[in-house]
Amino acid sequence: MSDVWIAGAGMTRFGKREETLQDLMAEAALAALRAASVEAPEAIVVAAMNPEEFVGEGNFATHFATHLGFAYVPALRVETATSSGAAALFTGFAAIAAGLRRSVLVVGGEKMTHLSTPRVSELISRSIDPHERSYGATMPALAGLVTRTLMAGHGVSLREISQVSVKNHAHGALNPFAHFQSRVTLEEVLESRVVADPLRLFHCCPISDGAAAVVLTAEGTGIRIAGIGQGADYLAVRYRDNLTSFRATQAAAEAAYRMAGFGPERVDVAEVHDAFAPFELIALEDLGLVPSGKAAPVTMSGETALDGRLPVNPSGGLKARGHALAATGLAQVAELVWQLTGSATGRQVEARVGLAHSIGGLATNNWVTLLERAA
Amino acid sequence: MDRIQGSRCPRCLRVLAPPARFCPDHPVAMEPVELHGYGDVISFTTLHSPPEGFRSPLHIALVELPAGARIFCHGSETKLLRVGRRVAVEAVDQVFYFSHLGLADRARLFWRRAGDRGERVTAMAKSVVKRLFRGPKDETTEAP
Repeated sequence: MSDVWIAGAGMTRFGKREETLQDLMAEAALAALRAASVEAPEAIVVAAMNPEEFVGEGNFATHFATHLGFAYVPALRVETATSSGAAALFTGFAAIAAGLRRSVLVVGGEKMTHLSTPRVSELISRSIDPHERSYGATMPALAGLVTRTLMAGHGVSLREISQVSVKNHAHGALNPFAHFQSRVTLEEVLESRVVADPLRLFHCCPISDGAAAVVLTAEGTGIRIAGIGQGADYLAVRYRDNLTSFRATQAAAEAAYRMAGFGPERVDVAEVHDAFAPFELIALEDLGLVPSGKAAPVTMSGETALDGRLPVNPSGGLKARGHALAATGLAQVAELVWQLTGSATGRQVEARVGLAHSIGGLATNNWVTLLERAA
Repeated sequence: MDRIQGSRCPRCLRVLAPPARFCPDHPVAMEPVELHGYGDVISFTTLHSPPEGFRSPLHIALVELPAGARIFCHGSETKLLRVGRRVAVEAVDQVFYFSHLGLADRARLFWRRAGDRGERVTAMAKSVVKRLFRGPKDETTEAP
């Protein structure tokens, strides 16, 4: 297996954007190609969770390739629900690791804010088991069920959960690409309206438009993909016997650490999938970054803040940077590339190894990617 | 009588409700099984902006039946609900409902759906209460 390098990364600001999906993707892709000094990639991997419904366009890999002037570059589209960006990264990684390509542009994006929130919610909830959906289960509803078991069975308090939102908003305030660039107080989080009891609005990530891209190459000297792993779980949440840890995260982490040949002790910075604030606490433990039962106290003590021992979500996470579905997994990787190369102006941490964690569906199809700066 | 229809994997004996065609752990066809209509609350939530077609607030509970199957249920309220609490479960028009032991709650729940089908409501309420008092030792029974 050949080494795979990230030669460049780019993204749009997340948020409410007026541009088309293909324009957002083009903006991110051109930034990544420019950073990589690559004029044309050998292949393109596109991630978009549901452009057919969100923007009414299909055959989206070719659509994007033609739009950006790469009509003759082979392009394909990858989808694993909300982790599609990470899945696309894996696809590009595999092509280069296998020696089939020398350079691949991986780009992910989503455009949703032109639709009503109930409509977007309904489209996203189609990644939930149909029987559970027939009970009105949405992503926040399932996350509400997870949160209550976390609180009832593990003694995690709503205050501790809310601190994740406070921290990630503080990080987002320093990130020019973030959807929300403002701080929130613990009281504001605790007093925001109830969405899916016990979850409140400020525990939930926003609906964002945006795109992110990376250029992968077979030769490089900067950032190497040290490990990448996928983990799976039942589509139906009711089939799982444990709601307070995600098997798909644990399996993905194990695979990524095995490929990298090192464990969580070498991770200096992490971007995790905090679609709902309690998910960050669950992720920290599932990824082995903190011991079992320690995620909440570690968060309260500031260890996961920018100036802490292990900065988590320096970008602001899904909570503040935003969640443009298929763009998110790649936006996490872009943030890590900038952190590892010392170009995360205003929010720079000291790091050599970074971990990205992306959740597809309600933790049905998760990915963990480990990046390492060459010595 | 109104029991909960489920399915069981002939290989690993895993039980699911509602019935599934294949076991999620093996590519093996599942067999039908009937389950008792009560269980313990694993978790619950209330949606204040439920999806289209549902009334607000929407109460959803995840309940584990004695046979091990976990099911999604609707209910009229969650004020008295706690994780670990035992509730009655009944299928009405193929939708599962949880309810507390109080008959008033159950009647209200069924009246809302059943409309003027009062006789059916009374029969169902009786059946559930009878079952509850038989206690948790009574394991899964197979369909005749």
